[in-house]
Amino acid sequence: MGEIILQMKEIDKSFPGVHALDHVNLEVKRGEVHALMGENGAGKSTLMKVLTGIYKKDEGTIIYRGKEVEFRNTREAQDNGVVIVHQELNMVGDLTVAQNIFIGREPRKGFRIDDKKMIEDSKALFDRLHIDIDPTEKMSELTVGKQQMCEIAKAISHNAELIIFDEPSAALTEKEIEDLFTIIRDLRSQDLGIIYISHRMDEIKVITDRVTVMRDGGYVGTLITEECTKEDIINMMVGRVIYEKPKEKSLVPADAPVVLKVEHLNAGKMVQDVSFELRKGEILGFSGLMGAGRTETARAIFGADPKQSGDIYVNGEKVEINSPQDAVNHGIGYLSEDRRRFGIVVGKSITENSTMAALSDYMSGLFINKGKEKQVSEKYIKELDTKTPSTDQLVVNLSGGNQQKVVIAKWLVRNSDILIFDEPTRGIDVGAKNEIYKLMNRLAAEGKSIIMISSEMTEILRMSDRIIVMCEGRKTGEINIEEATQELIMDKATRQMEA
Amino acid sequence: MDKIKQNPLVKKVGFNRVVLCGVLILMYIFFSILVPAITGSGFAGMSHIMGALNYAYFLGFLSLGVTFVIATGGIDFSIGPVMFCCGLISGYCLMTYNMPLPLCLLISILIGTLFGLWNGYLVAYWTVPPFIVSMASMNMAKGIASVFTKTQSVSWPRSTDANGWFRNLVKAGGIPTGLLCFLGAAVICAIILNNTKFGRYIICLGSNKEAVRLSGVDTKKWEMCAYLMCGILVGIATIFFVGTYTTVQPGYGDTYNNEAIAGCVMGGTSMAGGLASISGTVIGVLIISLLQEGILALKLTKDIQLIITGIIVIVAVYADVMARRRKN
Repeated sequence: MGEIILQMKEIDKSFPGVHALDHVNLEVKRGEVHALMGENGAGKSTLMKVLTGIYKKDEGTIIYRGKEVEFRNTREAQDNGVVIVHQELNMVGDLTVAQNIFIGREPRKGFRIDDKKMIEDSKALFDRLHIDIDPTEKMSELTVGKQQMCEIAKAISHNAELIIFDEPSAALTEKEIEDLFTIIRDLRSQDLGIIYISHRMDEIKVITDRVTVMRDGGYVGTLITEECTKEDIINMMVGRVIYEKPKEKSLVPADAPVVLKVEHLNAGKMVQDVSFELRKGEILGFSGLMGAGRTETARAIFGADPKQSGDIYVNGEKVEINSPQDAVNHGIGYLSEDRRRFGIVVGKSITENSTMAALSDYMSGLFINKGKEKQVSEKYIKELDTKTPSTDQLVVNLSGGNQQKVVIAKWLVRNSDILIFDEPTRGIDVGAKNEIYKLMNRLAAEGKSIIMISSEMTEILRMSDRIIVMCEGRKTGEINIEEATQELIMDKATRQMEA
Repeated sequence: MDKIKQNPLVKKVGFNRVVLCGVLILMYIFFSILVPAITGSGFAGMSHIMGALNYAYFLGFLSLGVTFVIATGGIDFSIGPVMFCCGLISGYCLMTYNMPLPLCLLISILIGTLFGLWNGYLVAYWTVPPFIVSMASMNMAKGIASVFTKTQSVSWPRSTDANGWFRNLVKAGGIPTGLLCFLGAAVICAIILNNTKFGRYIICLGSNKEAVRLSGVDTKKWEMCAYLMCGILVGIATIFFVGTYTTVQPGYGDTYNNEAIAGCVMGGTSMAGGLASISGTVIGVLIISLLQEGILALKLTKDIQLIITGIIVIVAVYADVMARRRKN
């Protein structure tokens, strides 16, 4: 490890209603891989956005290469060698690899783009990283792993001195992760500073030199990776929050009836021949890597996307589901991973959102019975412990956890018996997370049946009665909670079933 | 700002509408001073107020109609020409084919309804952008009307004529019945928008269509209904137009699009959808109408008014965009 390249001191940032960063510190040295850890909503991404100029900090100082800086936008950060490799890939599928890498700063020859130079420069970059990709290939033809490599190459091409990896491994297979680590070690040996954001504890131990832990927007501490155990880090991340106890065995009675049966479901590339059963009172976990087809499966069942074939049975009866309307009428509710886009109407009130799926029950003749509507809205605010000054509060003003409760209220008002929770705690702060867990356990105990899609291994292991693992659009495993381990799930999530 | 918020009137009707009322009154005072100073004739008299109101009736119905469409995040540029199409065809039926007047008025509403249904179907079920659909409908409305009337203009009966009784809807004796009709329609529209399933759904889908669809709502149907509602109101607007101005010429009507949309967005209905105010639309329409009367009284041409309404649309939409950006 060399000299200090980046120092963020006492960074403070507030959004309306949320203290997102509370005097956070971070220090990165040259030739170091520095892990930034914390649960969802701990403030890791916000901190990185402050660094790269997407957000303006309220307080604190950033010292980069010995000088105090405040980048106004990502472009300025890039020009100074601070680049971010995003979790979601920002690539244009129809352009070639080289065109993607040099997008916005194409080398020119007179008025024309110098394609030859662009391709040669790309090759030089790939050589430096020891990766084998043809720069003239179309981006959409590459695997997710290779696309990630291109993203890294693009980052380095900005003469990067500080690279931020934001959950780079989320969509990668084990082999691809190994390749990624080779590259990262390579970059480290070239004296670059590297910030590595990840949830996966094992990776942290393997690849990083130091760990900075954040919790609830605050700075918890920095450790040297070699000198600490996984448990140390977890304790720092979780802190005072006491989570629901993981289930030792399934809580579903052996004779519980099957409420939802899906047979040979096919919907596009991402859902191939998926079959499973969901029983009354069960929490069925869906695990897998990013892009394994879990959300697509849920959306196909719910009728949000068209399906090619497959049968769906609700309470033993075969049903036709061709639109969300059909699904809702059969008692299925879907809570999307992307609440703001698919779950709620942010500009409208809690009440209006709560009765959205069941408005017909709140009519007096032609008119909406606003009194009755308010009553039910109040009832669920109380029951779910939603924190809000009133039922008229616009949902946009609520925190992530409370927004999620509004979506849950929507389906409870509709009296849906089958609930599909897609990443139920994404973007929700740590304290509210456990409330959602408790709520899900309570709903299951009350006889609701839940499908829970989650990318967080701890969440899957903590909540599920049974786990289904998917990989590349196929179901690759079904594990009872008694036998489930992280290793077993990862194994099934990263390789196709052989039969 | 806090003081303003506490004022019960402001709380009830919203800051925006209070400002608009202020604009309306200031504009009236402005013209009352400027018109006599420049032309030597008075402005404060009843005749100019009636002139402005006459303009407000048909424009008001157009504006109410387009409020429903804009609430969904859509737009309708065909309302003016469709109104002319209704007036031409039904007027031609009345004057040339001697059909009974009530039937002709119904035909007018029916044509508006059909155009609304057509626009709505294409937008909602075929997902053609509203801009394109309404532009195409605008030209189709002009074309259909011209073909039907063989490019003749149509003059509706005067109040003294045998079939002139329908003008009582606009003015009976000295009473501006048109104002009562317009305000009555506005109240009904406000109730529809705020207290029915249809109103709730179109505003919500204007804000986030996918979230509403994933709640199991038939968003296509309701989106189409918004255009349908607009079409019906355009059909009704026709009656007030021909009841006031008598003659309808083929190939025109587009200028009213901008004025109706200006009235609507000025009143606080967001071009991005998800936010609509009927009371705002009513005041917006009155402002536009007063503006047009004032400009005529100043002996300026209609062209000046086109420029000003153009600017109003831009400013109103810009203000909406800025307000949204601040929120985010």
